[in-house]
Amino acid sequence: MHLAKNKQMAITFGLFPALLIYMIFAIYPILQSFYYSFMEWDGFSDMTYVGLSNFKELFQDPLFWNSAKNNIYVVLASVLGQVPIALFIALLLNRKLKGSKIFRTIGFMPVVLSTVVISLTWSLIYNSQDGMINELLRAVGLGALAQNWLGDTQWSMIAVCVTVVWQFVGLYLIIFLAALQNVPEEVLEAARMDGANEWTTTWKITIPMIWETILVAIILCIAGSLRTFDLIYVMTHGGPSHSTDVMALYMFNETFSNLQYGYGSAVSVVIFFFSLLLIFIVTKLLGRKMI
Amino acid sequence: MKKKISWLLFSVIFVLFLAGCSGNSNEASGSGVIELTVWNDWTEERPENTAYKNMIKQFNKEHEDIQVISESIPHDQYETKLRTQAAGKQLPDMFRVWPGARLKPLVEGNAVLSLNPIMDNWRDKIPEGILKDYAFNEEQYAIPANISETSLIFYNKDIIQQAGYNEFPSSYEGLKKLIAEVNNMGTTPISLGNKAVWPLQSVYISTIADRFTGSEFLPNTLEGEGTFENGQFIKALTVIQELSEMDAFNVDMNTLDEAQSRNEFIAGNAAMHFAGSWAIGPILDNVENTDNIGVAPFPSFAEGEGNQNKIAGVAGGGIAVNSSLSEEKQQAAFKFLKFFYGNQLYQELAKANIIVPVEVEVDGAPEVYKKANSFAQNGLAPVYDATLPPNVTDVINNGLQSITLGEKTPEELAADMQEELENE
Repeated sequence: MHLAKNKQMAITFGLFPALLIYMIFAIYPILQSFYYSFMEWDGFSDMTYVGLSNFKELFQDPLFWNSAKNNIYVVLASVLGQVPIALFIALLLNRKLKGSKIFRTIGFMPVVLSTVVISLTWSLIYNSQDGMINELLRAVGLGALAQNWLGDTQWSMIAVCVTVVWQFVGLYLIIFLAALQNVPEEVLEAARMDGANEWTTTWKITIPMIWETILVAIILCIAGSLRTFDLIYVMTHGGPSHSTDVMALYMFNETFSNLQYGYGSAVSVVIFFFSLLLIFIVTKLLGRKMI
Repeated sequence: MKKKISWLLFSVIFVLFLAGCSGNSNEASGSGVIELTVWNDWTEERPENTAYKNMIKQFNKEHEDIQVISESIPHDQYETKLRTQAAGKQLPDMFRVWPGARLKPLVEGNAVLSLNPIMDNWRDKIPEGILKDYAFNEEQYAIPANISETSLIFYNKDIIQQAGYNEFPSSYEGLKKLIAEVNNMGTTPISLGNKAVWPLQSVYISTIADRFTGSEFLPNTLEGEGTFENGQFIKALTVIQELSEMDAFNVDMNTLDEAQSRNEFIAGNAAMHFAGSWAIGPILDNVENTDNIGVAPFPSFAEGEGNQNKIAGVAGGGIAVNSSLSEEKQQAAFKFLKFFYGNQLYQELAKANIIVPVEVEVDGAPEVYKKANSFAQNGLAPVYDATLPPNVTDVINNGLQSITLGEKTPEELAADMQEELENE
């Protein structure tokens, strides 16, 4: 009894520094954003309380809705691109494949690279004149398909989404690999003994057994996509003509370029609730209690 | 034992944490030397920036009791950082500022110190009309180091000659014909890099709109005595539409930044490049044959109501002083500014082909520099992003990009700008 109490104390004390740091650097700024979102403030002069007018203005701003729409594209591309591709590769690599370690390293590489490096590299790949994609197309006689990938509003969002998917596939690949390695060999063995083929074992046993991990990956994916900022900021600045604007970028521009700290805070509050809502819907849809 | 270790760990983390919190205080160094930090955007390797940095070095050498520390931040991030730090009341002792609308929020937020006590130093040297770019309500907040003409046309003489021109056309109609000829040759007529969305506004519209509307239009509209939906202003915006429809620009204009597009021109891949006087140095330093480069003022517009000889320009290179400095530091900062904005700096800048606000003699200056210098004699038209409030600048910047993509009409952009202005 005495021991358990002591242990609890130790745990509490052990957690305290982390909790303190978390409160100061995560919780407090969020609360502060809520506070600022009711204010009109340019960052320098005194704040004035304006109630909900920032939110009213926000919901009537077509540019905000445009950025929300683009953000949904990023979410869809991530959830429907990153997760299935990562799962597929993970299933392949989980077999006793020669050189699977090398493939794993290659797959994980983009996650380690800095986003700025990735953005600049992909900007070069997409370059309309001497970029790799257009050069390749021209080399195989499909020059007519060459596009101004990042400079054309029709293509810019797709081009950005491809890069986002590429960047994070490796992360989910590693998460799935770890989960797959925890699937007990005996269960699979038993299934095979019962005559289940590879396809059935994968669908009926392996995937259900790592379903929790997949769900976590999807939620991480959504949360990450809603925060997308640096990649697009470097690649396109949200342009051309707002075609790749996402919510975080819109918030950044309104706050720091246009000096509307109150309005920008309102945007971040909306992003906060939007993320909660999306994650809530997804957990409800895909079942299992997560939060 | 375990308990001891966990306590030890806890205290180590806690101490580290406290140490992290207290890192930012500006302690005076014990030796009695006053340290002044100055933020700037002199990251690019160019003669102008070297001149600025040399002035600081020399000042430090001559003044043992004052040491000026320069911190350089890349241009495109600089202003964002400055504004954010200003909002958090964490500005350095001195910092580079841009004039007009971009300085105004700092002045209104009482972040910058008036330089009026030391203004006698420059009164007779720098014309009043140029000083006023850095002044609000009779208070001077920075001294200009240069004049930025924002709208010059650099052209490649060879390419233009091949297109059948010995002289650069002086009218818009002539320019359009030239563009068509160059296009027929399969060469890009104008190299443009509008990824950061300011060039079409600052370089193009500032002068084009002034030619159409006259210089009174902008201040009047901001005062509410006019509107952006003015027919002449819309005609100015239509010029951008017309140019992009006739393929005057490179196709990747919205994915290149300004420096990349300048390099395309330097490499001889385009007949023209529209830019400001900041491009003179880099172009002359990097082209193979400087005699092949010409510079021309913007063309004149037959229907224009403004003075067809003015081009847009504004004072630049000013350094402001933090308003919350101690008396001792203030005096040191004043001493530094008096030294910095002295004859030597203007000489050095002029040698680096920078247009300066004072009269200096430079022998053997290149033709391009002399010509560009002479354009300023006709008076300067206001630069849009130095005059408009930031949110309206944002609308026109992005709107012009939309026009080049055919996603907005000039009329729509004018209406958007007016709406944003009235929302202020």
